[in-house]
Amino acid sequence: MRSERPPVLFVVLAAVGVAFFVLPLIGLLSRAPWETALGDLFSPEALTALRLSFVVSIAATALAVLLGIPLAWVYARVPFRGRDVVRALTTLPMILPPVVGGVALLFAFGRRGLFGQALDAIGIHLPFTTAGAVLAATFVAMPFFVLTVEAGLRSMDRRYEDAARTLGAGRWLVFRRVTLPLIGPSIFAGAVLCWARALGEFGATITFAGNLPGTTQTLPLAVYIALETRPEVAIMLSLVLLAVSLVILIAMRDRYLRAF
Amino acid sequence: MLTAQVAVRLGTLDLDVSIEAAPGEIVAVLGPNGAGKSTFLRAVAGLVPLTKGRVELDDVVLEDAARDIHLPPERRPIGVVFQDYLLFPHLSVLENVAFGLRARGVAAREARVTAGSWLDRLGVADYAQARPPTLSGGQAQRVALARALATGPRLLLLDEPLAALDASSRGAVRRDLKRHLASFAGIRIVITHDPLEAVALADRLVILERGRVVQTGSPAEVTQRPRSRYVADLVGVNLLRGTASAGQVRLTGGASLQSADGPDGEVFAVIHPRAVALHRVHPEGSPRNVWRGRASALDFQGDRVRVGVEGEMPIVAEVTPAAVRELDLAEGGEVWVSVKATEITVYPA
Repeated sequence: MRSERPPVLFVVLAAVGVAFFVLPLIGLLSRAPWETALGDLFSPEALTALRLSFVVSIAATALAVLLGIPLAWVYARVPFRGRDVVRALTTLPMILPPVVGGVALLFAFGRRGLFGQALDAIGIHLPFTTAGAVLAATFVAMPFFVLTVEAGLRSMDRRYEDAARTLGAGRWLVFRRVTLPLIGPSIFAGAVLCWARALGEFGATITFAGNLPGTTQTLPLAVYIALETRPEVAIMLSLVLLAVSLVILIAMRDRYLRAF
Repeated sequence: MLTAQVAVRLGTLDLDVSIEAAPGEIVAVLGPNGAGKSTFLRAVAGLVPLTKGRVELDDVVLEDAARDIHLPPERRPIGVVFQDYLLFPHLSVLENVAFGLRARGVAAREARVTAGSWLDRLGVADYAQARPPTLSGGQAQRVALARALATGPRLLLLDEPLAALDASSRGAVRRDLKRHLASFAGIRIVITHDPLEAVALADRLVILERGRVVQTGSPAEVTQRPRSRYVADLVGVNLLRGTASAGQVRLTGGASLQSADGPDGEVFAVIHPRAVALHRVHPEGSPRNVWRGRASALDFQGDRVRVGVEGEMPIVAEVTPAAVRELDLAEGGEVWVSVKATEITVYPA
C-alpha cells in the first residue's frame, strides 16, 4: 500500500466537508431533551404522526412495488421507441424539487385539476386525504425502486430463464419462479430505498395532501410544525428519522453504491 | 428421428445447417468458436426463432418458418444441458431436478420423489438438499443431466458439457458423462469445440465452420479424411487441395505432387507430418517429391519437433530433436523436403 503524505490543503478541505455534515447532527443531539425524551416521543401528536408516516410510507412502497416491477421489466426487456424519454420522465421526481411534484399532482388530481374532476365525479378525493399523501410519497419515491430493479434485471444472467423454458415453464412461471427470485436482492434493496425516501417525504405531501394531523401530517410535516410550538417534540421526531436513515444507509451501503 | 434445417441470421452470424439424427445416435457438432454451434442448439430448442427452415422431431413439426409454426421451448420434448449447467442458485438440487416436472403440472410430492430417483440414478442423491453453488463441476453436471432427463425428453442437447471444468477433472467427468449418455435412449447432440470430447463421446461428427457444415461422418472417417483446414489442424496433418490426374496432383498454389494412386479430378491430399523428411542437401534415391524451403517455426513437443517449412509448398514436418541437431536447423534456415509418393493419401474433394 502507498503511504504518501496527503496534501495538507486536501486534508483541511476534506475535514471541513465532514464537519459540514457532522455539526448539524451534533447540534440536534445537543439540544435533545433526554430527560423528557420518552414523554415527548410518545406524546399524542408525535404518536399520531409516527403511525401515519408508517402507514403512508408502507402503502407508497407497496404501490411502487406493484407498479414498479412491471415498469422496470419493460424498461429492461422491451426495446421501444422513446424508451429513454419515458424512463427520464419517470425518473424525474428523483431530482425534481418535491414541491414542484406536489404542484403538478395538484393540477392533475386536485379538485380543480385535469383529472381531479373526473375522479371527484366517481367519488375519489385525493387532496387532503391519506390516499393523497400516499400518492405524493409514491411519486417521489418510486423512481428509486424502479431504477434499482431495472439494474437488477439488466445484470441477471438471462440464460437461467432459457433453462427454465426448456424445462417446460411458460413465461409467467419463469418470471415467478426464476426471474423474481434471482432479482430478489434488487427488489429488496429498491423497496428499502423507496420506503426510506417515502418516509422522509415533505414537499410534495404538504403541497398536494396538505397538513392535517392524523390524515396527512406525516413525520416530517409534524417536525416542521412542532418546531414552532414544541421544539423538543420536533427534535425527538427528527432523531427518529435520523436513526432510521442511518440504519438503512449502513445496512445498504454496498447495494446503494452498486445500484447507482 | 430429428430432421433440422436451421437457418438463422443473427448479427454477423449467418447460420445455415441441416442435421439429421436417428434415435440412439450420439452426434457431436464440432467447430471453432463463433461457428454458430450454440445458436444452432438454441434454435433447435426454440430459444432462437428460425429465419428459414424447419425442425421436426419424431414426425412432429416443432418449427416451420415457411408455415409460421413455432412451438415455444416449453412445449418441445427437448432436454438441454447448458454450458455452465445453469442450475438455479436459489433452489436446492432436488428442487432443480423437480422444476421441470412441476412446470408440467406434476404434484409437488410426486415430482420430488421422481426427482430423487433421478438423483439416485446419477449418483448424486447425497446432495439433494445442497445448494448448486456448493457443488463441484462434476456433481453439477450430473445434476444438470438429471434435471434435463427428468422430464422425459426425446432429444437431449448438451452445450459444451465439459468446458466449465478444470483440466484435472475433465477426463473423469467425460467418462462419467459417456456412461450416462449411453443410458439415455433418445437422440443426443453434443455441442463442443474440443475434438477430444467429440471423438470420445459421439458416434458421428458434424463439423461446423462459419455457419456451414463442412464435413460429417464417423470420428474415424473425419480424422482420416479431413475436408477442411480446421479439421486437418485438429488432427495435426497437412491438408492440400488440388486437381489430380494419373497420380499427379496439381496444387492450387502451382506446385505439384506425385502420389501412388488415387482418383482423378478435384482432390484433397493428406500428408502426415511424420512422413515429411528433411535434408541438408538434395536427397538421393527414391522419393518422388522433393523441394526446397525455409524452416519458419520450430515447435518442441517432448521427444518430437514440429517444423514448419515455408516455400512453394508450405508443409509441417515432424522430426526428432536429434534430427534437428544433425540438420543444424534454425528458424529461417534453408532445408530440403521430401515426401514419398506412397505417403500421400488422396481422396475426392
